[in-house]
Amino acid sequence: MPTKMMMVLIKQMFRKPYTNRFPVKYAPKDVTGLIQKVLRGEVKIHPPVPVPEDFRGKLAYDPERCIGCKMCIRVCPANAMEFIPETRKIRHYVARCMFCALCVDVCPGKKLPGEEAPVKALKMSEEFLIADYDKYSKNLVEE
Amino acid sequence: MTTTYTYSLPIGPIHPALKEPIRVVAEVEGERVVRADVKRGFAHRGIEFMGMKRNAIQTLYLSERICGICSISHPYAFVKAVENAIGMEAPPRAQYIRTIIAELERIHSHILWLGVIAHEMGFDPLLYWTWKGREMVMDLLEYLTGNRVNYAMYMIGGVRRDLNEKKIRAIKENMNYYRQFNQEMKDVFMSDPTYKARTRRVSLLTRKDALELCAVGPTARAAGLRMDIRQDQPYDAYADMDVRAVVPQDITGEVMGDAYDVTLVRLYEIDQSIEIIERCLEDLPPGPILAEPNLIKLLMTIKRSEGEGVGRHEAPRGEVMHYVRFDGTRDGPVAWKVKAPSYNNINIWGRVLVGAEIADIPIAVGYIDPCMCCNDRVAEVRRGGRELPYEEVRRKCREKTMRIKREVMG
Amino acid sequence: MILEMLQDPLVRVAFAVLLPIIAIFLGLFYKGLDRKLSARLTSRIGPPIRQPFRDVRKLFLKENIVPENSIPWMFNAMPLVAMATSLTLLLYIPFGPFPAPLEGRGDLIVLLYLLAMQPLAMALGGFASGSPYASVGAQREMVLMMSYEVPLATIIVGFAYLYASVPAAASAVWAPFSLGMIAQTPVWAVVSGPVGIIGLLILLGVLLVVTPAELVKIPFDIAEAETEIAEGLLAEYSGRNLAMFYLSDAVRSFAMCAIVVVLFFPHTLSSLVPLTAYPWNTEPVLFTLETLWFLLKVFIVYFFAVTLVRTSFARIKVDQAAKFFWLHMTLAALFGLLLIYLDVGGWF
Repeated sequence: MPTKMMMVLIKQMFRKPYTNRFPVKYAPKDVTGLIQKVLRGEVKIHPPVPVPEDFRGKLAYDPERCIGCKMCIRVCPANAMEFIPETRKIRHYVARCMFCALCVDVCPGKKLPGEEAPVKALKMSEEFLIADYDKYSKNLVEE
Repeated sequence: MTTTYTYSLPIGPIHPALKEPIRVVAEVEGERVVRADVKRGFAHRGIEFMGMKRNAIQTLYLSERICGICSISHPYAFVKAVENAIGMEAPPRAQYIRTIIAELERIHSHILWLGVIAHEMGFDPLLYWTWKGREMVMDLLEYLTGNRVNYAMYMIGGVRRDLNEKKIRAIKENMNYYRQFNQEMKDVFMSDPTYKARTRRVSLLTRKDALELCAVGPTARAAGLRMDIRQDQPYDAYADMDVRAVVPQDITGEVMGDAYDVTLVRLYEIDQSIEIIERCLEDLPPGPILAEPNLIKLLMTIKRSEGEGVGRHEAPRGEVMHYVRFDGTRDGPVAWKVKAPSYNNINIWGRVLVGAEIADIPIAVGYIDPCMCCNDRVAEVRRGGRELPYEEVRRKCREKTMRIKREVMG
Repeated sequence: MILEMLQDPLVRVAFAVLLPIIAIFLGLFYKGLDRKLSARLTSRIGPPIRQPFRDVRKLFLKENIVPENSIPWMFNAMPLVAMATSLTLLLYIPFGPFPAPLEGRGDLIVLLYLLAMQPLAMALGGFASGSPYASVGAQREMVLMMSYEVPLATIIVGFAYLYASVPAAASAVWAPFSLGMIAQTPVWAVVSGPVGIIGLLILLGVLLVVTPAELVKIPFDIAEAETEIAEGLLAEYSGRNLAMFYLSDAVRSFAMCAIVVVLFFPHTLSSLVPLTAYPWNTEPVLFTLETLWFLLKVFIVYFFAVTLVRTSFARIKVDQAAKFFWLHMTLAALFGLLLIYLDVGGWF
């Protein structure tokens, strides 16, 4: 009994699969080895799906531009920011961050000599492959 | 005289038909359910309590995380409630953008439901196909807001990101795609014999039952009730749109109140959403997008204000309502109450499950599109419950974290 | 030459031992193809074709858990029974150009019983599990079995009636229920007129509908409904026992499609293409070609009766399935039988 669904399915059969490809075709025996091979350029992997512009990835922090106003700490919903009184800068724990970019919105930034407008100390980068075993690893704490 | 034996069939808290934890215990006699009991509270996170410890902006982002699918509905109701309490109004452009995002969310949520209900009846290819179509709106939302799920788009008194020409063009292209895709979906869903066999006269909800059990959203509309917050109490750009509730009597001419009618309602609501978005884009007014661009100033305003507010929004699943109260001492709500649509809709399970077959349970459970963590506001511990002091809970949490860390790190 | 070799009892025993091993391999291979094609139908990439082999290997490595409130001997025995019947089933089916190893020791009726045996074993295993899900699944399996057996039996009666009408002289052994004979004389040549052809087409349609029910595949996977009763019959099975059911399912799927092929499309490649005209016309080459042709036919039936059906329908309810088989399919099968009766009787 042919149904509309069957037609849809048969049409799909002759198209390219819609699924995003995994980096490699089948799960490798040794992931770390594979990563090293990829880094050395011996193996090519399917690249990750590109992110759109204005994507909210890992927060990038530039201490040079930080004036220590603590505004980001006040608005951060996840309490991911910590103030360091000695340096009057902040420390950001990426493991707690929820990528809402509110801190970027409130950050007043600092005008370095010779610049016309202040540049924000915080901005969202496009980096999203940030999983780690240790939430305090070097990659996940910014100061 | 024959004796019939009944036995209880537990569905949940962990079960393939359920995407979130809830427990339905069905007393079964052969294939027929004679009694059903629902126990909820497995996904209680104490989120309202957390919100009362934070400032209003932080709570807004907390509310976004009440639900993983309606991640705009809860913030929408929350910002409406806060704006109501502090007497602020979003600029017109922000109101239109809010409506666009909310309707985009409705499209993705309805397509999600169509896939889930297909999965509940073992029709996985339909799930894959509908969700494949859903990817486009997810990508669009990611493009507009910066993330696929937690959009972080709304702010008390406006929205945080503006729509530029490029984004408006992307939305228009997307709507053309969805107009065509929705037509295909209607063809497939309404002509499929097995889909009809599984949903017609399944989980019948009469108009009377729907009224008595306070059903909301598509569930109530499928029972023939013309109720929709967007129609009854229009807010933001909906006031200019003249939204009419989609009810099955307008589509097929008769009301059954079954899972098939819910499908119809949802399919036609996607069309309605596409129309609303296109009209919003046409009439998009110029101007600012935030009533108070300085967030610190906004927090000060909230801190100074006293009063309470209610915000209501027609989420894809039905009415979501937030209540907040400010007492003028702190910059966050001193009381925050969330009422999600599933809270009402889960009540109808008890009625529609009695007399149903075992095979109907997943459909009856799925057809209201339940969201457990939306509705779990209270957890009750019956036996052996003991109140632990805060410090002890904290210590136990730390111990566990350290133990897991040792296990993982070696 | 090969056929003569097969007359030798020793070779025959070796063949009978070898065939189950080949059958397991083929069953898993077809399952892999089925999964891959099903994935492509739904726009997915799908698992590699060797995935079912890995699944089985992994299941055999896993712990075999016997639930506390089960009946252990029955719970453990049923997977073996299911496996054994599935493999025995294959010994009765002519495998392409090769005659069935148990040729002459059983016929279509035995096949009917063997086909009923495996679901029965699964149902008993389900009842023995002592889990409400499994007992609901077992009840459903029994209901479903009772429903589809009638049309299936009607088809077999139709065949027997048709072949019984062939004059004894026309075939060497007069055995209307013998699969070997059906394989040698295609059924389409036995009927005499268009009425009989229509009757046979109806029977073919019914058999193709019964196939997914027989194999517990969507839309008739009611007994194993994942979202309703959490895999039903198999809810409590794990490890080796589950692997046995998995294997028996794979073998049975292959066997069932092979039965459809033998009953309705037994045409050999040489009867369609004049192979003898070519110079490489040696016996091993011919046998290889014929075997591949047979496998291709089974694959086509597998695709249309199992893969495509299981991807394009929803699971129906057990009462709907029972009604469907008892009313629609039984009536259709009886109508087909009537047409064949008219054809054989020479009314047209």
